[in-house]
Amino acid sequence: MSNNKVSRRQFLSYTLTGVGGFMAAGMLMPMVRFAIDPVLQKSEGGDFVLTEKKIADITEVPVRVDFTFEQVDAWYKSDVTNAAWVYKEGDEIIALSPVCKHLGCTVNWEGDPAHKNQFFCPCHAGRYEKNGANVPKTPPLGPLDQFEVRENEGFLEIGKAIPNTLV
Amino acid sequence: MHWNAKDSAIFQAQKEYIDTAIIPLTLIDGSSQGFLSAASAAEFTLSLSNMIENQFKGRIVLFPSFSYTKKQDKQTLLNDWSEEIKNAGFKHIFFITSDREWSTMEEEKSVIWIPSIPLESMDQKMKNSILEDQLRQLIPIFAKRWAI
Repeated sequence: MSNNKVSRRQFLSYTLTGVGGFMAAGMLMPMVRFAIDPVLQKSEGGDFVLTEKKIADITEVPVRVDFTFEQVDAWYKSDVTNAAWVYKEGDEIIALSPVCKHLGCTVNWEGDPAHKNQFFCPCHAGRYEKNGANVPKTPPLGPLDQFEVRENEGFLEIGKAIPNTLV
Repeated sequence: MHWNAKDSAIFQAQKEYIDTAIIPLTLIDGSSQGFLSAASAAEFTLSLSNMIENQFKGRIVLFPSFSYTKKQDKQTLLNDWSEEIKNAGFKHIFFITSDREWSTMEEEKSVIWIPSIPLESMDQKMKNSILEDQLRQLIPIFAKRWAI
């Protein structure tokens, strides 16, 4: 009994150290959390969206594939439908963004009867080759963006937009 | 382009490319038999206008819809709008409406009358494909006017 006797002084110093430690931890934890926050952040935009397009149905002729994802704008959630022009080049599947690089209109495949095998923007007659390269002397100054694609159980999945890698 | 601060700044910088104004016209009908159909028509007109905006983003500015009642004089409304829009530097104006009474003014060529389709009973996919079809029919009308 007398062996492990704790003196009043010892008891107080243990208690103070313990409580002080808790308080210090309480202050430091959020700071550390803030400092390493970028590491913990979930990467946005890298998610793939499943479409209803079967891989087997994709041909060499570009077709429009719609895909819908949920967009969060502050506290407001909405379903956004986006589209891509999808075709097969050899064995590779290519998905191009339909957004014109000039001022953001939507381009159509063979939208102008006078120019077969090209994407056509009806706003200012901008044209793109099948691989997305802008035709010189039309308003657009850059090629169409590309989407990342992958296969999921026979269906096409579309990822985030990346700069055109074909041109 | 939408009618907001960011897009308006782009419009003022790119006037040579952005030269068309779109104004949806929606009827407000207070009578008990017309209330629902007017609302349905307005829904259709606004959805279609948004599709048009998405397709022709780089050439048009979509204005907020103009709501009117039956008694207001349509010719005056048209003239006032046209004058102000021309003032802002737009070359073309399109009014989009599902109200049949405007169809008599189509000789003006700026009113596009599209019969309303009740969208409320459709799911999102069906809605999109219907609007997509309507939009496809409108593209040549726009292209023709721009070619002049």
